[in-house]
Amino acid sequence: MSLPIVIADDSLLARKVLTKALPADWDVEVSYASNGREALALYRQGKASVMFLDLTMPDMNGYQVLEALQHEDLNTFVIVVSADIQPMAQSRVRALGAAAFVAKPVTPEAVLPILKEYGLYV
Amino acid sequence: MSEPVLTEDQRDALQEVANLAMGQAATRLARLLDSFIELSVPRVRVVAVSEAAQALREMTGIQDPVSAVRQGFRSDIKGEALVICRSDSVEDLCALVSDPYSRSAYESVSQKELMFDVANVLTGACVSCILDQLGRTPVFSAPGLLGDALTLDEVFQPGVLQWEVALLVEVNFTLEDQSFRAHLVMLMAEESIRHMNDALDALLSSL
Repeated sequence: MSLPIVIADDSLLARKVLTKALPADWDVEVSYASNGREALALYRQGKASVMFLDLTMPDMNGYQVLEALQHEDLNTFVIVVSADIQPMAQSRVRALGAAAFVAKPVTPEAVLPILKEYGLYV
Repeated sequence: MSEPVLTEDQRDALQEVANLAMGQAATRLARLLDSFIELSVPRVRVVAVSEAAQALREMTGIQDPVSAVRQGFRSDIKGEALVICRSDSVEDLCALVSDPYSRSAYESVSQKELMFDVANVLTGACVSCILDQLGRTPVFSAPGLLGDALTLDEVFQPGVLQWEVALLVEVNFTLEDQSFRAHLVMLMAEESIRHMNDALDALLSSL
């Protein structure tokens, strides 16, 4: 069965770049969200075994999504994808339960080791 | 002159390109000010220079005097970047960073120095990063202070700036509890905007 994943970013360009950075043969069912609220709704529908999450989004930013997920069972791997590369941004999202942090612009070389580390892609 | 138009896809791409640029700028600004910077989604708009003051007032609500620093950049996409802040917010920022600066050789940092530092970081990081993503490497000229207590209309008065088109990028930085807003405006000739649109299309079609 395909792994359900969510790509949450308000930018179409960013969603395209990220989609292209995923392994071509990764068996996934991708859902897209253009704001935090949509991302959370998809998670609640069980569509997010993995969530690629942008931090700066309208209508619930990435931090708010992470906080909301902490009050649920957090049954997802959140990989934060952000242009904000300040060290404190990274430590903040990890403290909020994010599994990994990838800097924009996203490359396949940055994503692959993370997917392998968590056994999401073999 | 009619308002130059970006397609919805071009505007989205430019906004994301600006978002990446702001991430770079924030990292450098955070280091300069020794403070965590919260970023919001940048908003971009392209208008004729004659409409720029009004458009910037609408986007930012600025009525007060502003400080403005100008810096030229050249590649086949060329123009001038303006960094604009409310004059009293530069004063606030000065108070916020006076501690680390007081340990330096200077007695205290002047508002002009700080404004130049902030402008330098924003222009360097934002303009370079935006053009880099569009496959260009700009050369910069030395920055100059346009004024430290100007109205927006004075910033964009005809005859001072020779460009036709203004790309307004709202760069919204919040420092800890204090809000500090800086606005970056890239002024370009129409021909450069066309080059930029072509570059955005190329970026989109490469995906």
